[in-house]
Amino acid sequence: MITIMKRTVLFLFMMLLSVSVMAQKKYDEITYPELNEFEKANVEEFTLDNGITFYLVEDKELPLIRVSVTVRTGSLLEPSSKTGLASLTGQVMREGGSVNYPADELNLLLENNAAFMSTFIGFGSGGASMNLLKEDFDELLPVFVDLIQNPAFPEDKIDLAKTQAKSNISRRNDGQQGIAVREFRKLIYGKDIPYTTQAEYATIDAITKEDMIDFHKQAFVGNNMMIGVIGDFDTRDMKRKLEEDFGSLNAGSETTLLYPDIDYDFPSTVNLIDKPDVNQSFVFAGHIGGLRENPDYAALQLMNEVLSGSGIGSGRLFQTVRSDLGLAYSVFGEYSSNINYPGFFYVGVMTQSSTTAEAIDAMLAELRKLQNESVPEEELNEAKDRFLNSLVFRYDSKNKILSERINNEYNGLPQDYFDQYVEQLKQVTSEDIKHVANEYIKPDKVQILVVGNAEEIGDQLNKYGVVNNVDISIPLPASDEEEVSGDAAEGKALLEKMAKSINPDGKQVGNVVVQSTVTQVTPMGAIDIKNSATFNYKEVSMVANLETPQGNVTMEVKNGSGVMKAMGQEQPLPPPMASAMTDDIRYHYLSASSKHENLEAEYLGMEEVDGKDYAALRIIAENPITFLVDPETGLPHFSRKAQLNMQTGTFVTLVVSYSDWRNVDGVMYAFSTETVNDGEKASATIFEEVSIN
Amino acid sequence: MRVYTKLFYSLCLLILLGLSSENLIAQNLENFEEKVTEFTLDNGLHFIIIERHDAPVVSFYTQVNVGGIDEPMGNTGIAHIFEHLAFKGDHYVGTTDWVAEKKVIDQMDEVYKTWLYESYKPNPDTGLMAEKWEEFQALQEEAKTYVVNNEFSQVVQRNGGTGMNASTRWDFTDYFYSLPSNKVELWFSLEAGRFMQPTYREFYIEKEVVREERRMRTDSNPFGRLVEEFLATAYAAHPYGRPIVGWNSDITASTIEDAHEFYETYYVPSNITFGIAGDVDPEQMKKFAEEYFGDMRGKGKVAPPVTTIEPEQRGERRVVIEGNSQPLMMFGYHTVSATHPDYEPLILLGRILSSGRTSILYKEFIEEQQTALQIQNFEGIPGTRYPGLFLSLVVPNTGVDLDSLEQSIYDEFDEVKEGAITQEQLDRVRTNLRAGIIRSLANNTGLASYFVNTHVEQGSWKDVFNQLDRYEAVTLEDLQRVASTYLTKKNRTVGLTVKIDS
Repeated sequence: MITIMKRTVLFLFMMLLSVSVMAQKKYDEITYPELNEFEKANVEEFTLDNGITFYLVEDKELPLIRVSVTVRTGSLLEPSSKTGLASLTGQVMREGGSVNYPADELNLLLENNAAFMSTFIGFGSGGASMNLLKEDFDELLPVFVDLIQNPAFPEDKIDLAKTQAKSNISRRNDGQQGIAVREFRKLIYGKDIPYTTQAEYATIDAITKEDMIDFHKQAFVGNNMMIGVIGDFDTRDMKRKLEEDFGSLNAGSETTLLYPDIDYDFPSTVNLIDKPDVNQSFVFAGHIGGLRENPDYAALQLMNEVLSGSGIGSGRLFQTVRSDLGLAYSVFGEYSSNINYPGFFYVGVMTQSSTTAEAIDAMLAELRKLQNESVPEEELNEAKDRFLNSLVFRYDSKNKILSERINNEYNGLPQDYFDQYVEQLKQVTSEDIKHVANEYIKPDKVQILVVGNAEEIGDQLNKYGVVNNVDISIPLPASDEEEVSGDAAEGKALLEKMAKSINPDGKQVGNVVVQSTVTQVTPMGAIDIKNSATFNYKEVSMVANLETPQGNVTMEVKNGSGVMKAMGQEQPLPPPMASAMTDDIRYHYLSASSKHENLEAEYLGMEEVDGKDYAALRIIAENPITFLVDPETGLPHFSRKAQLNMQTGTFVTLVVSYSDWRNVDGVMYAFSTETVNDGEKASATIFEEVSIN
Repeated sequence: MRVYTKLFYSLCLLILLGLSSENLIAQNLENFEEKVTEFTLDNGLHFIIIERHDAPVVSFYTQVNVGGIDEPMGNTGIAHIFEHLAFKGDHYVGTTDWVAEKKVIDQMDEVYKTWLYESYKPNPDTGLMAEKWEEFQALQEEAKTYVVNNEFSQVVQRNGGTGMNASTRWDFTDYFYSLPSNKVELWFSLEAGRFMQPTYREFYIEKEVVREERRMRTDSNPFGRLVEEFLATAYAAHPYGRPIVGWNSDITASTIEDAHEFYETYYVPSNITFGIAGDVDPEQMKKFAEEYFGDMRGKGKVAPPVTTIEPEQRGERRVVIEGNSQPLMMFGYHTVSATHPDYEPLILLGRILSSGRTSILYKEFIEEQQTALQIQNFEGIPGTRYPGLFLSLVVPNTGVDLDSLEQSIYDEFDEVKEGAITQEQLDRVRTNLRAGIIRSLANNTGLASYFVNTHVEQGSWKDVFNQLDRYEAVTLEDLQRVASTYLTKKNRTVGLTVKIDS
């Protein structure tokens, strides 16, 4: 309607005015010539005896050649205890160089020639690629083949890759989007399934050189490989070279990739991840999606097009949530369909904390609209036109044609797969879209995930259901504490002996109030801190008032968590720190002595320290602590445990030595302690006053 | 033995390649001289047409030589807001009745200004403000009734347009998309419309969209926060120190009147260059250009330059952001603009230090010391129109002592000043620079933007190829000299984000 009116107005306007502006046409007045015909790239295919299939495309525009190898493998195949193995293997193949071209030499050779080689292993495929000036091809092809066939996996590069992987783990909660995508996938696919397993410090540590060699050996064989070659070459000549250099690769056997099924029962959940350093919520809402083989695939894709469009300004979510309401810069959503396992359905938005619920409601309303109202014919045609009129860009480079061909082959799709899809898409009606929206989208059974500033968001999410606070803290690496199993009976006896020596009358220990001076070693030198503290070993709690050079600090630990108060500000202790302090109280020698009946202990044998023998007594706990007990007095002279260094993410061995034992109200107390971290003195404490109630 | 043979061999190759890729470049310049047609309309608009007939598609690239640095005080972000508004159409596209719509838009801006100015008073009349705000919102709703939602974008996409977007930088603003090549006239019609008939349609809603963009890119992103803080520290006077997206209060303060003034001053023909690359006929392009753009206003108008010159820095500057994320580190040294003779040596120095696995900092900190996860030199940030920065980003590995990492990087810089770079290293980055140019010629979008950017920066698209002469002329002494001149403590700004508990 609008268009017709515009034309009429314009026509009248032109009749009235001079014709000099006639040449300028409005978009709806332009008539377009036919699109120029053009020749699509021809793909030459051939297979070697060892199973490698090649796809060659000549492209003489620039003096370059690109080779890309697709390999049937993936992290799908790795054991969950070694998550990260596949991707590290792919990385170290390139970083470590090959047997004949070690890393340094390879890097020089490539960069001197402005050539690139890379290797990778992803979730459901792996590969290698090379990009170079054509004149270097004959020299570098054998190098590339050697890298694929004989990667060296040197220890130093494995260690480097592992260090980097761990560094990346430590950074994975820095970016809001990364958290949101990762955690939303976990909500949809569950946690113990390859679609969501993630590398942890422990799984990276578990990976060995042999694992990588094996993984590579299984994957990079002829029967798993498809190779595309494109660039400025002569096909016949190229075939000969490829046969010569790739012919020697092992045929091996074709890998089978098994994608586990997903059992999804459409729960409605509301989940929040608190990120106090942001002022915008990253929101996902959705549920499981589908498979590409679904006969409704084309209708679902067109539904996606109506919902989200294919670029700036198209799609209902953009038009409503961004343009009309100004609630977001970024808003998106689709029902995604994967070839091998279900995709997921989601809508998502990034909006300021205060409009989180408003944006969620606006998105859900769009979903309901898709279900309740047929898409107007005009809007449907627009969506189809966007897709059909841009099809020419599918073939606008020879490389795109080659990639599509290899992609279809890899996924077992027919060569005319896309053309079939285009035909199906043309047939989709408004009713089809309404049908699939009702069949596959369940706006009332979505899982909502918000990564944002909990304080700013307030109670906005309550109306969607009970809010789960998702814990995304990074599991700490396992400690290096040796796994020795000692004697339990002797351990029990030794613990009793220690308890008897410390607390001979079995006195109930309530509050222990101490005054002490802590000499702390810092990078700026040693500083003295006065501390007055009260410990309660029964409740596993502590209140400490520290006089530091920066002012007074109060620390409170109770029920496994803690707070720090300084300069009128109160902030929670980081969870790892609070749990370390809780452990310190729970396994203090006084604590161990007063409830020794409830503890499990092992005797590990005698140990010599500075020429004196001690009985090693380990208290069994999540993070075990070992006391070195003087066999004569029954008093512990040292305790030893692994403790996380929060700054490095690695464990250090913490040794505390106890001396100057004195009797306080019938209980033995060490009035001087010294703490050593991995052999370096960290602090010393002299107790001035101790009272035990 | 084997290693030596290979090294010898690769040295021979290097010499051969050095020669041959230079020839390739020369060949390419000749090739492109045949494929490129340039013309300037009477009013000053400049067009660069690059023929490429492999496929029936065409990419368009519009560069306006105005960016964040040209904004008036108090209106940071206006260049970017204007860029967003360029997708709202013109007097015909995006509206059901422009004349009526315009009336409401003008009224709305007047009411907003009354509200705004009242809000800055020491004792604002809150009653008046509430009244004006209500009035403003009612007008905004009324204006919406004339809007055809996203018609501009939809017309482009319905006709098969892809890759449509725009970006605002410190130095310039660019707009781009691609069409099937039979639809070129559509681009002329729409592009002329949006730059000759700006409407400021949905201005105030779009400011909220921009605020969300700010929250996403800057406020909620550790790297975004650091860059904003870092540049504000590095530049005391020059507008390179200001955020492109704008300070939040400036976004609030900007009105349609401000946007229009900005348009009138900077969106003038002499300040706009168009690139068209693909399956097109240059003669026809010229005809369309005259038809659609011939009557653009502003002939002879020259956009004012930035007149503030960053004063010499008197000592190291440092900014530390304490937060919850893992540490990031940035270093920047004030350098020169793209037309200064030291520009090329500085680019090469940056690449020798941190581009590729053989670069000095990569080898030392990623591979040897393993203290960094990533070290990267940025080129062209914040800009090249005026003196920019030699800028490095360091992503430290977990648990690394930041002070000693920082010091070790300075130690590497010091070695470079003492002449540590070898001829082989210099030749290697030059080889990669040449190959990089060849690789960048592979698609329409890349060609159009590269040629237009080069025309604006250096005065001619031919400098894509001719710049190599300047890079060839750089010597080891030049590298040593620029390192000593610019990479000094006094000239340095350091930015850090650190974790609160460390």
